[in-house]
Amino acid sequence: MTDSYTAVGKSFQRIDGIDKVTGAAKYATDLRFENMLYAGLLRSPHAHAKVTCINTSAAEKLPGVKAVATIFDVPKVVQYWFFLRTEKKKEQMFLHDNIVRFIGDPVLAIAATSKEMLKKALSLVTVEYELLKSIQDPHTALTETKVNIHKKGNIAFKVNKEFGNVHEGFKAADIIVENTYHTSKQKHASLEPIGTCVASFQSNGKLTVYSSTQLPHWSQHYLAMALGLSLNKVRVIKPFTGGAFGGRCGVIHGLEVMCSYLSRQTLQPVKMSFTREEDFSATESRHPMTIRMKTGATKEGMITANKVEILSDTGGYGTHYIGVIADCMSTGIGLYNIPNYSFSGTVVYTNKSPCGALRGYGNPQMNFAQESQIDIIARKIGMDPMALKLKNYRREGEMDPVLNELILSNGLKECLEKGARSCGWEEKRLRQAGNDLIKKGIGLSIMLHGTGAARALPDPGSATIMINSDGTANLHTAAADEGQGNRTVLAQIASEILGIEFDNISVSETDTDITPLDCGTHGSRQAYCGGLSVRNAAMDARQKMLNHAQKYLKVEANQLIIKNGHIIEKSNPDNNISIKDLMQKIQIQDMGVCEQVIGSASGIAPAMPGYYGAVFAEVEVNTQTGRVKVIKLTSAYDVGKAINPDMVRGQIVGGGVMGIGFALTEGLQLKDGHILNPNFTDYRILRSCDIPEIEPIIVESNEPTGPFGAKGIGEGSMVNVASAISNAICHATGVRLTELSITPEQILQSIKNSR
Amino acid sequence: MKKKNIWMNVNGEWHDLTVTLQDRLIDTLRDQIGLTGTKEGCGEGECGACTINLNGKAVLACLMLSVQADGAQVTTIEGLQNGTDLHPLQTAFLTESAVQCGYCTPGMIMAGHALIKQNPDPDKTTVKTCLANNLCRCTGYEQPVKAVLKAAGEMRRKIK
Ligand code: FES
Ligand code: FES
Repeated sequence: MTDSYTAVGKSFQRIDGIDKVTGAAKYATDLRFENMLYAGLLRSPHAHAKVTCINTSAAEKLPGVKAVATIFDVPKVVQYWFFLRTEKKKEQMFLHDNIVRFIGDPVLAIAATSKEMLKKALSLVTVEYELLKSIQDPHTALTETKVNIHKKGNIAFKVNKEFGNVHEGFKAADIIVENTYHTSKQKHASLEPIGTCVASFQSNGKLTVYSSTQLPHWSQHYLAMALGLSLNKVRVIKPFTGGAFGGRCGVIHGLEVMCSYLSRQTLQPVKMSFTREEDFSATESRHPMTIRMKTGATKEGMITANKVEILSDTGGYGTHYIGVIADCMSTGIGLYNIPNYSFSGTVVYTNKSPCGALRGYGNPQMNFAQESQIDIIARKIGMDPMALKLKNYRREGEMDPVLNELILSNGLKECLEKGARSCGWEEKRLRQAGNDLIKKGIGLSIMLHGTGAARALPDPGSATIMINSDGTANLHTAAADEGQGNRTVLAQIASEILGIEFDNISVSETDTDITPLDCGTHGSRQAYCGGLSVRNAAMDARQKMLNHAQKYLKVEANQLIIKNGHIIEKSNPDNNISIKDLMQKIQIQDMGVCEQVIGSASGIAPAMPGYYGAVFAEVEVNTQTGRVKVIKLTSAYDVGKAINPDMVRGQIVGGGVMGIGFALTEGLQLKDGHILNPNFTDYRILRSCDIPEIEPIIVESNEPTGPFGAKGIGEGSMVNVASAISNAICHATGVRLTELSITPEQILQSIKNSR
Repeated sequence: MKKKNIWMNVNGEWHDLTVTLQDRLIDTLRDQIGLTGTKEGCGEGECGACTINLNGKAVLACLMLSVQADGAQVTTIEGLQNGTDLHPLQTAFLTESAVQCGYCTPGMIMAGHALIKQNPDPDKTTVKTCLANNLCRCTGYEQPVKAVLKAAGEMRRKIK
């Protein structure tokens, strides 16, 4: 494909940038309406208990208290889109029954005229609990038969997949590596706390909800179901959002339902905003996993078998627990062509804060284990890890056995080669650098992540484009932008196809009354799935413009092209009309037409293409303190086509920093169900002074099913960072860490043990 | 609740305000004056999202009481641009792709603003140290640091 694009591949500034740098951008936390009430939750102080009595009479007597809703009143709601089409939905309630299942589980909500009144009212409520035995350890959850966290038991889900014959595969192996890995309960820590919403129920029966959600149309469906409203009576608007990373894919549906319920009671707007502490302690986090892995390989470096057993801990509730464990399976199996594979995953409930979607969606956990195993094998057989990966990765033209899809683009080899050259891999890998105190090392890890969820979910996307009479255009899409820049990227795609300048395309905010159905922003899907919808809608509009132009240019539409804002006869460029003039004619001047060109498209993406990446991490390990310093990440990702290269680099660097956090500093600490570090002092995300140099490298493999060849990037950029760092630590020190996050204590202990 | 009258110059305009002794400056700015550009990310002085300038210095509006700002000159993100002309810091954050979700951006820019006032020619380490109080979960900091350096250069050029 020759790159003569006018808008695609250019680093346009984000269309909402000026609003963000001037403070004009309104986030859900900034919204205030007349007569607005403030709502808040009373949360359970117990990890597992039965609510026997809630006494709200004292609170209700306060003058400013307008409505109270307990778990007994609020309608139940299905938590996961997937279940809307299955019979299992009743098990997936979020606002529960009379059982509390983690410390922080909501028991009731109050709406009051001021924040002070709300605080006072909440303090006057008394709740009686009958304590139940709590289960904290996922292994206990597995075996415990007397205590059931949910009616169906403590096992939420099981999945198995096997192909080939692992037994034979291990027999054919010269070496077998077996280890157990543990990963931490990472938090999204988006700067705007998760969980802010304003609901306004009007007397005409229409509900409007402003919510910082990633999934506006899911929210619309849940709300309609919970409140018994038809979909046209539920309007969900997503204002600016202060980061999401998967955190706004789950828990907030419960919040939206509560606010809406309170608003219906009072016919006043009701706002609820979680505090940072609530965000840390009561919203979803990454599933901690125990991963047992046995991998076999020949001396020549052919991986012959992999056997994986995962125990995933979803906490008190599950929203994405099926998707997350399935992603461990599909990314693990998809990356390498290992002929004999056995995967078994079990998800259990425990009495801890619930888990959900977080950037990478199971993949970072799986990748840490599998990429550690591959690295160990490389060391054992004395092979360069890069060579081992190149020997075994699943190539273009091969079948992905989980997704059942042909791999149409895979730029992994190029990622590896470019990254290796740029960081000086070969030389650094051979050299044992540093001194006795500070040891230096370099490590490598690769990854595959799926774009979108077309093989797993009902995953629709849609777009509408209206061409105005002055030749500008308005694009309507519900592809919620959480900061990645979807709206900008989608405008670029529309601009490219319509031949209308980027600056002349406006993109609507996400509003279910206006923007057509979209599955939301998850699974790195918007450049690809959103991009396809916008591409198709733009092609529809384009064809309509060409059809109209026939009349004025007196040539068939198939003889016309669009270039620089003009519709031109291919063989006779002098015969042309500007889009603006054409729109003037057909909308206003030509009374025989009087029509606006409107393009639209809706549907599911044709595939779920994998995008790939290689991270080279360079570290220094202080053998006396155990401290690890990441010196540099060289991160090369195959994104198909970078529609906006600056934004792709932004995702690679931002994901890289989040990945370093996952490797070294992040994770909720729990004791008896209490979260010990629900703040930014004790839960350490990286700060500007901590960051190493990060070199983002873009590889473009041109995905044939993607818009202009594009596929995803958002999640993948953090997936293989922790494994690359762990591999680098091993290169530096010879010790293998199997638990995230990697602390100085662990390193010191491992060094001691290895002596 | 005991109330007090205070006055404050916010972005060049004097405001007479009635506040309680407990009112935090961030709430007075956001809820009373309606300047919601200043963000709250933690309310505990840990994230820097609420950074404003008070008498030229970067302070955290979530940790200050409104009564402590009595008589003060306050600049918030809304006070930086001149009509439709953006401040060099605002421009640099856009051109350097230093903005993703934008929730940390007002705080970052105001931290940079106070820094450049004190030190018109900061080096990279100085900027990194200054922004260390401002958490950002999206960008990975590299671009915001570059943006502050670029804006400082731009402002020095303008003065010359
Ligand atoms: S809100 Fe003030 S420091 Fe976080
Ligand atoms: S841009 Fe999102 S927190 Fe900084």
